[in-house]
Amino acid sequence: MNKENFLEVRGLKKYFDAGRLRLFSRETRFVHAVDGVSFNLRRSEVLALVGESGCGKSTLSLLLMGLENPTEGSISFEGRDITHLNDHERKGLRRKIQMVFQDPYESLNPTQTIEEIINEPLLVHGIAKDKKERDERVKKAMEDAGLKPAEVYLSRFPHELSGGQRQRVVIAAALVLEPEILLADEPVSMLDVSIRAEIINLLAELRITRQIAVIFITHDLGSVGFFADRVAVMYLGRIVEIGTMLEVLEKPEHPYTKALISVIPVPNPRLRHERIILQGETPSPIDVPSGCRFHPRCPVAIAICKDSDPPFIALSKTHQAACLLLVK
Amino acid sequence: METTILVAKPKSQWLVRLLNFWRVFTKNSIGIVGLAMLVVIILMAIFAPAIAPYDSSSSAEFQVGDIYNPPSAAHWFGTDDAGQDVFSNFVFGARVSLIVGFFAAFISIIIGGVLGLVAGFFGGRWENLLMRFTDIMLVIPDLPLMVVIVALTKPSLMNIIFVIGILGWTTTARVVRSQTLAVKSRKFVLRARAVGAGNGHIIAHHILPLVMPILVVQAVLVVSLAILNESTLSFLGLGDPTALSWGQMLNYAFGRGAMSIGAWWALLFPGLGIVWVVLGLTLLGQGLEQVLNPRLDTHHLMPSKPTVQSGRVELNPEKGALLEVQNLSIHYINEGKPAARAVEDISFTLSKGELIGLVGESGCGKTTLMLSLLRLLPSAGQIVNGRVFFNGKDLTAVGDEELNTIRWKEISIVFQGAMNALNPVRTVGEQIAEAIVKHMPAMPHEQLQARVTELLDLVGIAADHKEHYPHQYSGGMRQRAMIAMALACNPQVIIADEPTTALDVMIQAQILELLDSLRKKLGLAIIFVTHDLGVVAEICDKVLVMYGGVTAEYADVDTIYNEPRHPYTQELLKAFPDLTKPKKKLSSIPGYPPRLDALPAGCRFAPRCPLAFDRCRTEQPLLHKLGDMHFASCHLVEASK
Repeated sequence: MNKENFLEVRGLKKYFDAGRLRLFSRETRFVHAVDGVSFNLRRSEVLALVGESGCGKSTLSLLLMGLENPTEGSISFEGRDITHLNDHERKGLRRKIQMVFQDPYESLNPTQTIEEIINEPLLVHGIAKDKKERDERVKKAMEDAGLKPAEVYLSRFPHELSGGQRQRVVIAAALVLEPEILLADEPVSMLDVSIRAEIINLLAELRITRQIAVIFITHDLGSVGFFADRVAVMYLGRIVEIGTMLEVLEKPEHPYTKALISVIPVPNPRLRHERIILQGETPSPIDVPSGCRFHPRCPVAIAICKDSDPPFIALSKTHQAACLLLVK
Repeated sequence: METTILVAKPKSQWLVRLLNFWRVFTKNSIGIVGLAMLVVIILMAIFAPAIAPYDSSSSAEFQVGDIYNPPSAAHWFGTDDAGQDVFSNFVFGARVSLIVGFFAAFISIIIGGVLGLVAGFFGGRWENLLMRFTDIMLVIPDLPLMVVIVALTKPSLMNIIFVIGILGWTTTARVVRSQTLAVKSRKFVLRARAVGAGNGHIIAHHILPLVMPILVVQAVLVVSLAILNESTLSFLGLGDPTALSWGQMLNYAFGRGAMSIGAWWALLFPGLGIVWVVLGLTLLGQGLEQVLNPRLDTHHLMPSKPTVQSGRVELNPEKGALLEVQNLSIHYINEGKPAARAVEDISFTLSKGELIGLVGESGCGKTTLMLSLLRLLPSAGQIVNGRVFFNGKDLTAVGDEELNTIRWKEISIVFQGAMNALNPVRTVGEQIAEAIVKHMPAMPHEQLQARVTELLDLVGIAADHKEHYPHQYSGGMRQRAMIAMALACNPQVIIADEPTTALDVMIQAQILELLDSLRKKLGLAIIFVTHDLGVVAEICDKVLVMYGGVTAEYADVDTIYNEPRHPYTQELLKAFPDLTKPKKKLSSIPGYPPRLDALPAGCRFAPRCPLAFDRCRTEQPLLHKLGDMHFASCHLVEASK
């Protein structure tokens, strides 16, 4: 198996029906939530997907998890097409791709104990039938997720834990199935800054100790440094720039990436700098702007941006951006 | 391989939960009274043969001459038209009424529960079909239908139970459906799906445990309704003639002249029995709801009384400061619990046009501190020491009316979570107008509208959005509207409580830019409450870092970032991602902030501090002055001073 196509996403699209314009209108409108996304993920690689709300990153994660069916495009895992699977095949695959959700307060069932929560995936998949084996796996997952010693937490309820501990429980419940890919959807955005580093360091450790590949979805470019190998910036359903972490953070080429980087707060008042603050908000994914979809908010847009959709321009072997200004 | 859905849970787990529930329930007086009323009747029904002085089922014992005798020592409740002992009938009648009530309710709950669950969980066509059917059942008047059905079939106990049960499920179905819908959309259900769980597993493990509390409350109410229905049917003469219930006792007494003779006892006691059971069930239901439904357990913000502190020294506020907080301490005092020392000995000053950042992790007391400035604490929160001077006036001592002239007009608040703070059914323009009118009731309409437009313009919202509702606004626009509302009365100070948390970075940058420009344009003084040190560095003049309710470090912004002296500030800065050094590993502060009701004996940061030594664990450090505008509370600072 080629290392490159561990997980391969090609031209993925997801349109949601947004109803008709008027009651008797013939034309149905669509939300272009994900509108042609392609990327590769290597084994034990960390890929950060960055974008503002409404850029389609959450829909993309649901598509990758098979919780939504794509309108077009394909996803393949270890060389096998997994775009359309029946329930049984999907269930087998779920052991390999697990998800960590944004809100650790909402994603745990308040009536279950920590043990029940982490044990649940094993029950669902019918693995480790023997109680002793199950207990061992639960304990190992908890300690890998930094809940040490496990015994202290087993019989507690989620409301007795802090936000950081809850997020560790969510991670432990994903680890217990020994997945190969972890999809982390804004796993730290609800946590205090002092706890964020802890969770990010935990994920960074897991990719080394367990060889897990991580897709890290976030709106905060600031949190991807150090941890991510590559960064993909999304805008309105598409990837507009993708490259290694250093390429994107230090030599951004797309105007949107540049703006995003400029507004990241720098924790030093001596380094206060000019920020490129884009006015307005991301346009509705129902009426996607013509040409380059970023042109209405782009500070450096030129006349042709309105009409022609920019292709991906290769800037290096690993670095690509979709902007007409880069066409030579 | 198919996996099993049902799991045997350890019994002890359930026992623990039941005991926990019981512990909470026993504190609920309404529920306990209801339960006690019910238990009395149930015990009476179970031990009926032992309690009743006469056996009502055998006709041998009654004497013909004793028709409608008033209550006496031999017949406590008197006798009825057939000379039977009313008390004995009452005791045996409880059996019939309760049996019909419980069994009929059981049928209703099962039907309603299953239909509600299926409709709510699967949605789509099934939901449409089931809920329309439920609607039809709801419009058909139950009683006439019951009467017709019972009249057409043989009026036996069985038939009555079935008729009442089959017609009484509609409200249960609706209640269960709406709760199922609410639970289904919660994130942990999505997480279970992502794990690979099927519908059966999700219903059994995630939906049912959260629907159950509501179902239990509903069940209690359905039982009381079923008992009432049975009484009504029996009273109308449609009861089972072989099983005497309270309703039937009423029917016989009524039909056989008890009213004209004046034999009130034949009517009163069965009537009281019905009232007693229904009242008991209603109280029990209400008690259960209070215990099981967490939404009812809210605490409201209440303006607290001015504090009267004994023997305090008159201090003159610093010249030129708009707002000066001196040694402010706030404790949460709950009966039977140790006082939670939420804020202790906090001091800071704020001048016109200045922006102070108040930084700390969640639970460090920063919101409590902010609310206390306007005395808006929950009733348990009390200012136990310190003062708040605003333009030379002590806000902790002024009367409520005087404080009301300051709230919003002079000092206003932008709350966290803009969606919850806006009323969803009124337009944003109306809500801003309301904020103005509350404080300036005399303003004419045209001027008011012009002012609303002006305010919206000030925060960068086009005037045509005035007529829109909050849901038509995006997150950033809602936060702007909240700021416009806070500006309504031209305040001098704005308290912004985490105004950018939960917003995207770009929108966050827009809001920061807006606050900064307002401060320059209007000379506003702003207190910016946040857990994000990065945001603070961008716009603040000075920073107060709080930890566990006390000041860790207080300095101008440059000192905080470039010469921090408190280990907590230093650790916080290390935990913050710095894009100028993307390869640097983030360090985190191990452990968690202390609970405010169980604070460590010495320095509050000692358990997490990498530099802590023995003294830190026993002695709380004082706030040391390190420069004109630099304070830190750490023993290490003292040594190097």
